[in-house]
Amino acid sequence: MFSYYVRLALLSLRKNILLTGLMIAAIGLGIGAAMTTITVNYMMSSDPIPQKSERLFHVQLDNWSPNQPYNEPNEPPDQVTWLDATNLLQEGRAFRQAAMGGTSFVIEPSQAEQKPFIASGRATSADFFPMFDVPFIYGRGWTANDDNSQNLVVVLSKATNDQLFGGENSVGETIVMGGRAFQVVGVIDDWQPRPKFYDVSTGPFNEVEEVFVPWSLKEPLELPLNGNNNCWKPVGEETFSAFLRSECVNSQFWVEFEDPQDADNYLAFLNNYVTEQKKLGRFERPLNNRLMDVMDWMEYREVVAEDAIMMMYMAIMFLVVCLLNTVALLLAKFLGRSGEIALRRAVGASRRDLFLQYTVESAMIGIAGGLLGLVLAWFGLQGIGGLYGDMTEGLNELDLTMVGFAIVLAIVSTILAGLYPTWRACSVAPAGQLKSQ
Amino acid sequence: MLRMQNIRKIFKTEMVETHALRDFNLEVEEGDFVAVTGPSGSGKTTFLNVAGLLETFDGGDYLLDGQSVKGMNDTQLARLRNEKIGFIFQSFNLLPDLNLFDNVDVPLRYRGFKAAERKRRIEEALEVVGLASRMKHLPAQLSGGQQQRVAIARALAGRPRFLLADEPTGNLDSQMATSVLDLMQEINNQGTTIIMVTHDPMLAKRASRNIFVRDGQVSEVGKEDDIVELLHKTAQVG
Repeated sequence: MFSYYVRLALLSLRKNILLTGLMIAAIGLGIGAAMTTITVNYMMSSDPIPQKSERLFHVQLDNWSPNQPYNEPNEPPDQVTWLDATNLLQEGRAFRQAAMGGTSFVIEPSQAEQKPFIASGRATSADFFPMFDVPFIYGRGWTANDDNSQNLVVVLSKATNDQLFGGENSVGETIVMGGRAFQVVGVIDDWQPRPKFYDVSTGPFNEVEEVFVPWSLKEPLELPLNGNNNCWKPVGEETFSAFLRSECVNSQFWVEFEDPQDADNYLAFLNNYVTEQKKLGRFERPLNNRLMDVMDWMEYREVVAEDAIMMMYMAIMFLVVCLLNTVALLLAKFLGRSGEIALRRAVGASRRDLFLQYTVESAMIGIAGGLLGLVLAWFGLQGIGGLYGDMTEGLNELDLTMVGFAIVLAIVSTILAGLYPTWRACSVAPAGQLKSQ
Repeated sequence: MLRMQNIRKIFKTEMVETHALRDFNLEVEEGDFVAVTGPSGSGKTTFLNVAGLLETFDGGDYLLDGQSVKGMNDTQLARLRNEKIGFIFQSFNLLPDLNLFDNVDVPLRYRGFKAAERKRRIEEALEVVGLASRMKHLPAQLSGGQQQRVAIARALAGRPRFLLADEPTGNLDSQMATSVLDLMQEINNQGTTIIMVTHDPMLAKRASRNIFVRDGQVSEVGKEDDIVELLHKTAQVG
């Protein structure tokens, strides 16, 4: 019977092209607007590392002022100090751990025709690469020994390797950064976690850095800070070493556990660490350390912008308005066929049969509306890309999941919109209609 | 075969209560050709709707093929209509967007027949009414008489025990009416029970039984009675 209903629906939809077009346009506009904003929200809130996000934890230590919290009501800072990151790294209590912070370099290409350029960088520790499943096209990340020995090694992004070495395998080559020669140990393949969860301090959708160097080089090379820095008390001396050992928070610290349950033990370790630090006159606030896995951290940092959420709700309201219009149009269409309904009832169709027939017709309008909505959503997302430029790169793409979701949303919405008209159609008393034809 | 015992049907509005059928009793045997006459508003069509399971009733009992329909749900009634009853309406009630083949196909779809069986029955039914060569035509391409023949084919395709006809020649000229009536007579001769509501004395005369409905109650008209005169009186009452 399903194919019969589909055939009847096509006949019915073809019969009044204008009415059908209006319904499809209403659904399409609603779905288009909703899908544009839902896609942006979905991309913003998607799990950037689903295979292990529940085993990766961000560390927060409350070293803030005893007089006021970092954020009300009693929130610890979002970042940690260089000193604490370095200490925790040395303790090495987790399965894997990575201290990190943003920096930048002036790179001097070996080819004379290439001009020096500034590259964004990240100082981090060896575990960064296996922890975050960073893909390599050449070589690998550096080792813990490179960290400990403060070796001048570097991992390049694919784009940087393309720029400096024409995409060739550059492992073993040297590049000059900040006047020093670094040996290339690896080249990262295309890798752009969205959100860039490991450091959202300067923007959760920023590009991944162009070069990566060992964390241990930060102090000896006095690597500049490229990121947020927050202090609650002045740095004593005006030296780089004093800045690093100050209470300024500007670094991130992530740990990986083999089992998420290990987080409790690690939190206990953090509390012990802070208790020890208190004896040195630091951490004047009550214990308030936090461990959050990737998705909790994204939620805590409100990676999905509030205005994006507001836009999504407004677009969903618009979809509801479009659906209400569709209800009225479907009602007119279905009740206009009361003669056919009565005849079908007379010759043996039950209310259930008719309900299925009209539901299939609603669903077909939904499919057509969904497809139109997808096209409109694509234009909408291109429009967002045009308005906000690189900021929205990667957020304005319809993936297969969203395409499927759009179609399902359109079908379900239209079937819901068609419920009342369908119910009214099925309630037509056949006797009166047959006589009055 | 069809037995109505003390059937009551009341139409209620906020202000008015209309007793369309009151203690309506009727028995129709297999193979009967029953003409139902009576003045306008007497309850003929209500009777036909109740008999065709298109209307429920408020009291009494109705046995169709020995089976009481009282208390049946919508799906059961729909199945019974589909399997046992064929309808012929004054205004044909063909679906204008479907060709003749698909119009005749409508009741068969709800019976759940396989495609080959449906095709065979449709072709046979259209053959019986003499329209097999026009099965791809739309109803609008046919005359009124031909459209009524299609409606008869649709009613016959499911091979029902009963054919219920409500003024089947009401929209036809006399030549077409005679042709349709001949066809119905032939169908009846082959064993199908026909119950026909009509105002047409010519039609009523050709039925094997005549019943007269007035004020929601039924009375049998003997063969010796002058049906034409009765219908004339009916017109005066109506």
